[in-house]
Amino acid sequence: MNLEDRILEIMREVFGIDDVTTEVSQKNCDCWDSLRHLTLASELEEALDIELEPEEIAEMTDFARVVEMVKSKL
Amino acid sequence: MTTFVFRNQTVEAFLGDSGMTFSGYGDISRIPGDVDRYIWFYQVPVNADSAQLAQEVTAYSDQLDLVLSAADPSKPFIIFSLVNLFPLRLTGDEVAVADAVSAFNDHAMRLSRERAGVKWVDFGEFTSRYDAETLVNWKYYLMSQTLLNPRLARDFQAWWQRIEDEMALKRKKCLVLDLDNTLWGGVLGEDGVDGISLGGDYPGKAYYMWQKALSQLSSTGVILAVCSKNNEADVQEAWDKNPSMVLKREHFSALRINWNDKATNLRELAAELNIGLDSMVFVDDNPAERELVKQMLPEVTVPDFPDKPYQLMPFFKQLVDRYFRIYAVTDEDRAKTAQYQANAMRRAEQSRFVDFEDYLYSLDISLDVIPADEHNLPRIAQMTQKTNQFNLTTRRYTEADVNGFLKSGWHIFCVNVSDRFGDSGITGTMFLHPVDDVTLDIDTLLASCRVLGKGIEEAFFKTVLNLMRLDGYRRVTACYLPTAKNGQTADFFDRMGMTCVTVDDDGTRRYEMSLDSVYEIKNCYNIRVL
Repeated sequence: MNLEDRILEIMREVFGIDDVTTEVSQKNCDCWDSLRHLTLASELEEALDIELEPEEIAEMTDFARVVEMVKSKL
Repeated sequence: MTTFVFRNQTVEAFLGDSGMTFSGYGDISRIPGDVDRYIWFYQVPVNADSAQLAQEVTAYSDQLDLVLSAADPSKPFIIFSLVNLFPLRLTGDEVAVADAVSAFNDHAMRLSRERAGVKWVDFGEFTSRYDAETLVNWKYYLMSQTLLNPRLARDFQAWWQRIEDEMALKRKKCLVLDLDNTLWGGVLGEDGVDGISLGGDYPGKAYYMWQKALSQLSSTGVILAVCSKNNEADVQEAWDKNPSMVLKREHFSALRINWNDKATNLRELAAELNIGLDSMVFVDDNPAERELVKQMLPEVTVPDFPDKPYQLMPFFKQLVDRYFRIYAVTDEDRAKTAQYQANAMRRAEQSRFVDFEDYLYSLDISLDVIPADEHNLPRIAQMTQKTNQFNLTTRRYTEADVNGFLKSGWHIFCVNVSDRFGDSGITGTMFLHPVDDVTLDIDTLLASCRVLGKGIEEAFFKTVLNLMRLDGYRRVTACYLPTAKNGQTADFFDRMGMTCVTVDDDGTRRYEMSLDSVYEIKNCYNIRVL
């Protein structure tokens, strides 16, 4: 599984919905609330063995930015 | 099920959000009534000023009291114990915060004993699995107000599910124990009463502790029984003469000490104790015996037995955690062991009487028919959850459900049964739901298997209907819903003179009857209506 798919998979699990695409963002997805945002960050850290700073977590507001941030850590 | 959570930190990631509503942080001003239960889940905040922190924690007890005084007393109220996840002590002798935390926990535990519906959950049981670094994640705490590491959410949910299962009374009733190399070291028939290993130094010490723990377990209402290949006289001698023997004859509600195979013995024990095989846990050191029981009686739970005596206490803890722990021990539970024994004595008496009625007279049975109230409501709900055999409809209700029925005008009664051998406590209940001014439908009718076989269910049923007749009701409807276990009640309503109007394909039988005349009740019961 490539990184993008893996991240989508984690998002589906955290948001509790199947319908998550590469277009997803905090704006267009009600399930991506502030609480789940932190859960998402924590799950990404754990699954990919990376460490995200609070400022970085705050910037990860859509799928593209999440991927970009994660890639910069690998 | 809907739950309202009083909290002072972010706990959504742990408790989940389905059916959950959360208070504001530390907000007790809103106590909604339209939920099924409440949870109090506070954590100790972080504050380097320990005197101030101790005061804050001390105030939680008063806040909890305030919430409890306003919350609907019929609804479950679950209190998580407080754990200081980040104990910060600037001087070595600083104990104010620790004292405040334990004072709160003592208070909450006392509430759970004194107030029906209040349950105390030991959150420390969860947190003690982790070291300090794992428990607290400062990054997430400062971003989201949750000191407990969000990475523990999945573990927490698994643990919490177990606690909820325990609270829903999904527990076993009876622990069946082997003797040689299980309750003591060695083989009684070979080593003799004084040769077995029990008490004194290791390994005897381990068996002694294990017996002591089991005797405590029996006092919480778990039934102990023996299933052992031995000579009964040898065992009796060991009970009488070995000074380190904690578990003696009186701790066991039933015995099978013989050379028959253990599957047959377990089946007989289940019949004698009037419980299902699926309520039994079988503990035996011999893997061949365990395998036989697993093969022959898959309903019986058969845990592996530890190889070494020093593993007995962790094994005991595992038994309790998995099968026996409950969150509120009712008085009925505590008295249960005595009751099962008294039942065995009653059966012995039975053979000495010429006719059954004679025997019933000799028992001096008293029935107290009691309308449901806040004191007996937990027990009534518990019975609907646990009773399988004499249960006409097997509808499972929570305390909140029952309270809701009462509020909407249902007539709900329970019956307290005693005889000259002892008090069986509240052992039956009946729910009647008014359909119109003169008609009642019997929603629930059940009696605990402990009191069956004495016509008590019949006397209770008739007493209640006589009461309802005095209340002006003239017609009763009822139904029997078949299950795998309640076959013995299939013809109960027929026997009570009701008319069966329909029988469905699944075996459901519907009944009706007019309440024209007063039921005659055998006068071998002393019946009081409270």
